[in-house]
Amino acid sequence: MRLRDQDKVQLVKQKAIELIVNDGLEGFSMNKLARVCKISVATLYIYYKDRDDLIIKITAEELKLMGDAIVKDFDPGMSFEQGLRKQWQNRYRYIVENPQMNIFFEQLRSSSYQEEYLSGYMADFKAIMGKFMHNVIERGEIDAMPFEVYWSIAFAPLYNLVRFHNEGKSLDGRPFKMTDEVLWKTFDLVVKALKK
Amino acid sequence: MDTIENFNHILLFKTNICCDNDKQLLHNLLDNHPHIQCWNIDMEDSDCVLRIISYTLPREQIIEMINHHGYQCCELT
Repeated sequence: MRLRDQDKVQLVKQKAIELIVNDGLEGFSMNKLARVCKISVATLYIYYKDRDDLIIKITAEELKLMGDAIVKDFDPGMSFEQGLRKQWQNRYRYIVENPQMNIFFEQLRSSSYQEEYLSGYMADFKAIMGKFMHNVIERGEIDAMPFEVYWSIAFAPLYNLVRFHNEGKSLDGRPFKMTDEVLWKTFDLVVKALKK
Repeated sequence: MDTIENFNHILLFKTNICCDNDKQLLHNLLDNHPHIQCWNIDMEDSDCVLRIISYTLPREQIIEMINHHGYQCCELT
């Protein structure tokens, strides 16, 4: 009999994310992870079948947490501006509270895990987002447009501001720091661009 | 929170089976074994960990079986 220590499971997850964020997927191995967690390699293989299984399971769990955070207190029946504002609040809070996760997901997006990463997970989340877009178009609040166009206008500005903030500078090298004022000014411009 | 679970059916071994050709031997030995539920090998890991789910097979028997075919295999601790 072994003890499944939930704190240990959590530690494994946290350290795996840290290692992948800092060293990339290439340098990530079960041996390295076991060393960092100060547990035996065998313990890791009790929890996970292999390296792929570990990466995919952790990613799935984290995607679920992110999806839940983004739809918190959000209702796809909300008006366009109210709904988008809630989305921006939730997405921004998630990024601030989980600064590593953006880099983690980016690492996976540009890897062979992309297919696993994108397929199936977050189905509920995607359905809610799709429903919101459908509702606001149906009510005539915004024009009908392809999802990619909608997403690029509605959310890409937020993620780009966060990128500038994380890099600490703007395109021309001037220092940049995100503030509530910048965030909500940008939001107003996004609403203006999309709302009829 | 801790929960006690029985993991005795998860058998873990350190091996030197690290390429597809070597892996073929495992397919021959393990795929249709009546006492093995499933198995996999992590050839990306430096310990080339072989993971077998079996409720009845003793570890020693697997070690012997793989050693007999000229490969290293010992319990992963």
